[in-house]
Amino acid sequence: MLHMKNLSKVYRTHMIETHALRGFEIHVKQGEFVTVTGPSGSGKTTFLNIAGLLEDFTGGEYFLDGVNVTGMNDNARTQMRNEKLGFIFQGFNLIPDLNLFDNVDVPLRYRGLPAKERKERIEDALAQVGLSSRMKHYPAELSGGQQQRVAIARALAGSPKLLLADEPTGNLDTQMARSVMELLEEINARGTTILMVTHDPELALRSQRNVHIIDGQVSDLVRKAPSLVVEPTLAQSA
Amino acid sequence: MLHYYFLLGVKSLRRNPALTALMVLILAIGVAASVSTLTILHVMSGDPIPQKSDRLFAAQIDVGPKENYVPGQSRSDHQMTYKDAMAFLNSKQGVRRAAMYGVEGVVEPARKELGVTSMEGVATSADFFAMFDVPFLYGQAWQQTEDSSAADVVVFSRKKAEKLFGSVNPVGQKIRMMNGEYTVVGVVDDWKPSPRFFIYNGRTAAFASEDEFFVPISNAIRRETPHSGSMSCSSSREPGWQSLLESECTWFHFWFELKSSSQRSDLQTYVDSYVSEQQKLGRFERHAPNKLFNVREWLVERRVIGDDSKISAWLAFGFLLLCLVNTIGLLLAKFSVRASEVGVRRALGASKRQIFTQFLMEAAVVGLVGALLGVALAIGALQLIALQSRALAAVAHMDWVMVAVTFLMSVSAAVLAGILPTWRACQVTPAIQLKLQ
Repeated sequence: MLHMKNLSKVYRTHMIETHALRGFEIHVKQGEFVTVTGPSGSGKTTFLNIAGLLEDFTGGEYFLDGVNVTGMNDNARTQMRNEKLGFIFQGFNLIPDLNLFDNVDVPLRYRGLPAKERKERIEDALAQVGLSSRMKHYPAELSGGQQQRVAIARALAGSPKLLLADEPTGNLDTQMARSVMELLEEINARGTTILMVTHDPELALRSQRNVHIIDGQVSDLVRKAPSLVVEPTLAQSA
Repeated sequence: MLHYYFLLGVKSLRRNPALTALMVLILAIGVAASVSTLTILHVMSGDPIPQKSDRLFAAQIDVGPKENYVPGQSRSDHQMTYKDAMAFLNSKQGVRRAAMYGVEGVVEPARKELGVTSMEGVATSADFFAMFDVPFLYGQAWQQTEDSSAADVVVFSRKKAEKLFGSVNPVGQKIRMMNGEYTVVGVVDDWKPSPRFFIYNGRTAAFASEDEFFVPISNAIRRETPHSGSMSCSSSREPGWQSLLESECTWFHFWFELKSSSQRSDLQTYVDSYVSEQQKLGRFERHAPNKLFNVREWLVERRVIGDDSKISAWLAFGFLLLCLVNTIGLLLAKFSVRASEVGVRRALGASKRQIFTQFLMEAAVVGLVGALLGVALAIGALQLIALQSRALAAVAHMDWVMVAVTFLMSVSAAVLAGILPTWRACQVTPAIQLKLQ
């Protein structure tokens, strides 16, 4: 589903060069639930942004669902983002002017689906996150956990192949975080591949695989991680 | 998608309501100022008789003295002498000919309670009514025979007829006026060409006055009815009416109606040959070119639209430009706080082009609301302008064309103002904005 080969990302200013990612290698299979952990500034979010085609990379190759996206233009990446990816953000990123129905409708509008199909998808997605009864409510009328559920519904409505979540429970209390995690597990169980950045060791433990990043490199890959890597060994760059 | 963007635009009006209200108000004021002055220009520059304005011709022949004349010098006198007007009237050129001059008449109504009043009118020939497509409420114009016999017949305006006779049909009734007893042969329905081009004695008269009655020019001459308006005499003359008729004093307007505009050159040939014949008799010493003007050319020649009106319009557009710059600033402020939304929409599959269209549509919606307020403000401004003078009151009114222009101007201004802020909104890097949330 997602394959990065020797990927690098360098941020350049006139004074300094910052290597956010270097020799980055990862292969995520269809249907996997992978968590990404690492200390602050290690490159987790940069990786997720590149994975989500929100940011360009400096070197290497990136295959998404079998398509080499290296050098792809903005329009093609936008279309791919719309059709194959779903996003869940730490800050929910709902549009405050729009009610829940219209918020979930946003990615479907850009896909150009007919009204009837959009309506079915929105109702279905909101039903999956348990918010069918609040379609006409606005984000400000919901709790943080409910807002994140709406964001999940928005991601689900487009039937993405890959769901990218950037610390989706970061702004939630433990109970709400657990509930959101359960929801993500259900979604994964239905076949959607999930790539989730988290700081929460408990959540990392619940995933099928944990990828630990240090200084822009994958430090270790652990299947069915029994615990987080405490003393990571840097992986060899390809 | 445009419908979707329009709905988003309407929803976004509620976001930053104070900022939105300020933008709408600025746009509305700028547009109202421009539309008010433009409305006046629009009415002034309108074609008063579009169906035949290219077939109606006024002639300018220069009877001025040779002294102090510089060849090529433009002539300000656009009237002609009695002799020339009568010669043209009998020329059989074109399909219709009409000579005219402004007159004032004293009327003694049968209804004594009305008292003796004076009224403003036109002494003209029978063709006048058909030439200018004058509509009749009752009766009809007098005939050529009545012109020939200088008959005491009169045509009243609807307003004057109602004042003198009430709402009944007065055709056939007699009325004492201009020292005679006149028979009413017709009542003109509401007819007020704007500008009043056929007798043009300055802009005030062109837009404000209404002709209350019409009598045969031959009758007015017979009764020695003095002219009302300007007269130019280039040489001294003996006193008396007959002397005035034989003088080189100009006080008549004259119009030809041709079958088609292509006959213009034939008319020009006729006028040139007439003047040439008169030159042999010692007249037209200047040998100035003889000119023909169709209605539109005539309005330009007579400078119906004054420089002050044009300057006002330019100043108003300058003000609109200032408003536009302000709107750009406000839109920049409004859109800059939407960076996170742009980031989300880009992440969810919106292309830069779609974001551009959406934000531009939001600007257009602001323009649309600005136009609604602008129309209201423009109507108010025009009412204030109308209070200044009768002439301005005649031109200070909006028609549907100007309402459409207001909407077009406001939306265009808002879209124009929105281009830079929208372009900047599109430059948002979604990854950065999403992380900032």
